[in-house]
Amino acid sequence: MIKVDSQAWAVMVAHAEAKFPNECCGAMIGKIDGDVKQVTSAEPMENAYAGAQGARYELRPEDLLEADKRARAAGLDLIGIFHSHPDCDAYFSKTDLENSCPWYSFVVLSIKGGKFDHANSFLPNAEQTAAEKEDLIWPKS
Amino acid sequence: MAKVLIPTPLRQYTEKHDSVDLTGATVGEVLGALTAKFPDLRKQLFNDEGKLRSFVNVYLNDEDIRYLKKDATAVAPADTLSIVPSIAGGSAGVAPPPLASLSNDEILRYSRHLIMPEVGMEGQLRLKNASVLLVGAGGLGAPLGMYLAAAGVGRIGLVDSDVVDFTNLHRQIIHGTKDVGRKKLDSAADTISDINPNVKIERYDTWLTSENALEIGAKYDMIIDGTDNFPTRYLVNDACVLLKKPNVYGSIFRFEGQATIFAFPGGPCYRCLYPEPPPPGLVPSCAEGGVLGILPGIIGLIQATEAVKLILGVGETLVGRLVLYDALAMRFRELKLRKNPECPACGDHPTITKLIDYQEFCGIPQHEPPPAPGVKEGEIDPIEVKRKMDQGEPFLLLDVREPHEYLICSIPTSKLIPLGDLPKRVNELDTATEIVAHCKSGVRSAKAVDFLKQAGFKKVKNMRGGILAWSDKVDPTVPKY
Repeated sequence: MIKVDSQAWAVMVAHAEAKFPNECCGAMIGKIDGDVKQVTSAEPMENAYAGAQGARYELRPEDLLEADKRARAAGLDLIGIFHSHPDCDAYFSKTDLENSCPWYSFVVLSIKGGKFDHANSFLPNAEQTAAEKEDLIWPKS
Repeated sequence: MAKVLIPTPLRQYTEKHDSVDLTGATVGEVLGALTAKFPDLRKQLFNDEGKLRSFVNVYLNDEDIRYLKKDATAVAPADTLSIVPSIAGGSAGVAPPPLASLSNDEILRYSRHLIMPEVGMEGQLRLKNASVLLVGAGGLGAPLGMYLAAAGVGRIGLVDSDVVDFTNLHRQIIHGTKDVGRKKLDSAADTISDINPNVKIERYDTWLTSENALEIGAKYDMIIDGTDNFPTRYLVNDACVLLKKPNVYGSIFRFEGQATIFAFPGGPCYRCLYPEPPPPGLVPSCAEGGVLGILPGIIGLIQATEAVKLILGVGETLVGRLVLYDALAMRFRELKLRKNPECPACGDHPTITKLIDYQEFCGIPQHEPPPAPGVKEGEIDPIEVKRKMDQGEPFLLLDVREPHEYLICSIPTSKLIPLGDLPKRVNELDTATEIVAHCKSGVRSAKAVDFLKQAGFKKVKNMRGGILAWSDKVDPTVPKY
């Protein structure tokens, strides 16, 4: 289960809505306590995908490396990646799966007409052939 | 000793160490030492062929070893190695295939779809799992229903409360001559089932209204507007905006048609294009103005194509583009449509937050107005007109239809002045003579009566129901059209 604190969630949604109609991406930082991943902060990152970004995103490994370093310095962990799906549902697409990594939770935010609609979290496998849905809890305002 | 930083998720394999000090002259040696020390880590970093997994990047200090010498990159004792995943993705490549399968019969039926990579098994399953609501089983609904069913759309909802009429048959090819008098829903469902028995058909024997539109529409992925009137167009549009579902739009008139996709999230809606309905009566319906029978075939199939593309998630859809088709010139044109930020339905600050009374909004009476009892003032029944004729009462029967309609049928002794010519030919009429005006069904002649009264004619009446009522009540040998 992954739980997102309200401040982190606000950052994620604001970033996703601001980048609409493009996809956004970023990292989620927090602590893992047993089965519960608690996200305490979110770091928006630049979508580094070279082509049209309406339906694609790419994270720069350097950015992730930096985020990981900062998290370590604060005694926290990088535990998830978030990105948005403009004007479509928060599924884990074939593209998502084929460019995923099994180490993190992948939170997908569906942004419809520029506004947050719904979200899901996924845990892809190492072979990048399937992703399991993970319970996602975000603050409902 | 070089330091290897372990990302959080991998620490379960490194006895919870967040960094490990290892010796090795190259990156390959250090990683070898790492996985020798923590064998469970190997599967996370390397595939069965012993190569680093595609998502694993190794950084020596701040540099990706792919741009150095890869595994052979030299490592100094003070160096830090980081394991960083490469992550990308996006909604492109669409949703994973839905959980369903095709039977062998279905595989055979859809084989010409399945061998196209743009459809394939995944796309065909997507079609099977898709649901569309067709509003109207008429001219546009006919090709839509038939082709969407044939293509394998799993669930089709039909909304129509009409009965098949002879005048429908020149274009509504989902119905046949044998179906005249049947409910359009039943006739259309029979045709669809015959084309593809795998399709689940849901019948709504009603008109779409503000009361039922959201409830019915919510059950479908998209709504396809195949209607011929403004209240329903605004109703379908607003319902789609509120439900966040695309409105696959088409309209036809005489030789021309239009198609686009409205209310696609982020795209324009019908109200962005037409904030206000035209005054009632300004834009004639197909029943009033006529339509080339083939035309709804073309426009309906453009709508069907767009619906299938939306379902498959392929190609460039008509969102933000209005296609205009002119059958006489055989020309397609295209207009760019923009979302209006001020749009009352889909703009930044929408004022339409629920469905309204669309009949009232469009300034027209309710869908099927109950016929007024008796004859209204200023109207005269065809039977009474016939009696006047038989008794030789002096009056002028004024036919205000078009000359080509006059050629189809006419009432003997009538004088033809088309409604549009009436102002310039009004001097042919005598204010002293009683005038009875008629048209096809009574709408245009009512306008003629209004005009004549304003021009000073006092003894003017409208023949109720037009020549259609004449055929029904007086002379059945007069053909109805």
